[in-house]
Amino acid sequence: MTTTTLADLDRARGTALDLSGWGRRFSFYQPRNCAFWGYLVLVGIGILVYVSRLAREYDAYGPAIGLAVTSFAFYAALFWWFTQYIDHYAKLPVKLMVVAFLWGGFAATGAMAANANDAILALYAKLFGQVWALNWGAGLAAPFNEEPAKGSGLLLLIALAPRHIRTAFDGFILGAFIGLGFQIIEDISYALTSAGSQFGANQIEASIGTIVVRMVSGVAAHALYSSIFCAGMVYLLGRAAEPRNVGRGLILVAIPILLHGIWDSVASIAGPSTSALVGLLFAVVIVALVIAVRVYKLTVKREQDLVRDVMAPEAARDVITEAELVAVSGNRKARKTYRKSGGSRRERKRARYVLNAVYGLADELAAARGADTERVRFARAEIGRIRAGVPPPPQ
Amino acid sequence: MPDAETDNSSTTAVRFEPDERWVPADMRVLGVDRRTIAPTLAVFALAVVMSVVLPIINAKVPYHDVVKVGDFIELEGGVTFVPEVGWGIISGVRAGQPPLSGEYPATATVEQGALRFRVHTGHFDGDANKLLDQIETTSGAIDRGRGVHVTGAHTTIVTDQGKGGATARVTGPHTGGVIAAFVFESRGVEAVATGPSDAGPEPTATALRMIRSISRLGEEKR
Repeated sequence: MTTTTLADLDRARGTALDLSGWGRRFSFYQPRNCAFWGYLVLVGIGILVYVSRLAREYDAYGPAIGLAVTSFAFYAALFWWFTQYIDHYAKLPVKLMVVAFLWGGFAATGAMAANANDAILALYAKLFGQVWALNWGAGLAAPFNEEPAKGSGLLLLIALAPRHIRTAFDGFILGAFIGLGFQIIEDISYALTSAGSQFGANQIEASIGTIVVRMVSGVAAHALYSSIFCAGMVYLLGRAAEPRNVGRGLILVAIPILLHGIWDSVASIAGPSTSALVGLLFAVVIVALVIAVRVYKLTVKREQDLVRDVMAPEAARDVITEAELVAVSGNRKARKTYRKSGGSRRERKRARYVLNAVYGLADELAAARGADTERVRFARAEIGRIRAGVPPPPQ
Repeated sequence: MPDAETDNSSTTAVRFEPDERWVPADMRVLGVDRRTIAPTLAVFALAVVMSVVLPIINAKVPYHDVVKVGDFIELEGGVTFVPEVGWGIISGVRAGQPPLSGEYPATATVEQGALRFRVHTGHFDGDANKLLDQIETTSGAIDRGRGVHVTGAHTTIVTDQGKGGATARVTGPHTGGVIAAFVFESRGVEAVATGPSDAGPEPTATALRMIRSISRLGEEKR
């Protein structure tokens, strides 16, 4: 029987922090990195294309642009919060998430996929006829252009932040932000197209339906597709904390392409029946959400293990309890079990605060790379204070 | 007795780690991190294929969907028109061949060389003159006088079906043509024919033939 010493646990913590890249600062400005310039050029082209369009159409569709931008800004904020919320573990820097969002919003759309979509749709019409192109063109063009366009951003992000993007879960989270950027910009474009559908008259009424439909269907759209695709890319490439798994990677890259293709062909598959269309849309959304949850559970395991390695020395030193270690490195159910163990409502509330303080300590330890800094000692003291029910010092 | 801080202290020494901007000496090519060249080139190659190669291939592939005798194009809301025989169908589908969704597209375009005829339909409350005013306002706001825009006064045009509409000339840089607007109940139709400004009277006659062929299924000939 082997005995694990504190030194072993500390070494495991150091390895986990080195592997995960958790807590490292991210610097975007890297003039000696080709990916930095590549990113700037492609995002710059995308911004130029998009802003030119908005500026050109603003006088004609000003009210619709205002409505679409405002609505989708709130929508994006909600998704942003949710995606950050599910990233409980070895958190990525916010700056990296912004960089991912901008790639999806501008480079993947205006500088890449939009041009390819137009060309391929026209080619389909020429080669197979207009009716065939209307039936299947979108479903066989968009997934093969848009998913690689979004996913290619992850390649640049890995080159920009090789020490941060280390697990498939990192790919999952960054993919969600890339997809979110793509989705928001595409949604605003769709709202603008609708604004012109009545020759520019009644543009608010004309575009509001599109905005609502895009918001509802967006629950299982680009953010979800790209999160799965980018998790697959990390498995395909292999990273320091995520061994290469080509089979799994190929499956995860293929799934969003398939889901996207079915989504874009759903009107043709359902035929003229409205009930069949609604049923099929609903089924595709449910299937996509189920797959996304499964991929989340598959990829998050590695992150949970890393958190456990980082926090195990704290449990060994009695800074946190074994139950807190299980909760902080476990899933939602583990956190819920921990909170409910409190008994009274007051104790459950305190358990939630303690858990947040433990997450705070984990982030401080990651930022200090396991060293005993003032901030780490303070974070430890905070756990003790909250557990003892002592109020914070007066402001 | 050891204090709490000493108890909680880990013994691991933190290894120095430079920031992302530091490039190891053996990884530099002309001062650039050579590990970042391959992924950047891969992404650029994809961008070039999507934004340059595919559009070029598309431009090189000719259209073969040519209008034959008896063809007519159907749009959303049962709007139809008869395109000129021999013109190429750029977008839109023939009547009787709807997409699987059952919904005909809202726009159809046919062309012959530099001549282009485009019909668009959508919901509109008002008469043909009001629709033409609306189109003029919207296109004027987008083009700001630089693109193809409506010029001259509205005149009346009557389709073969007997439907009255409004028409006006359009002009642009080296481009001229005619625009027509019709409203069938609350279904607006915009038809724009454009070509080189020095094309002569024949294209105008062809365009007017196509405009006069515009009708809506279910509307009786007056």
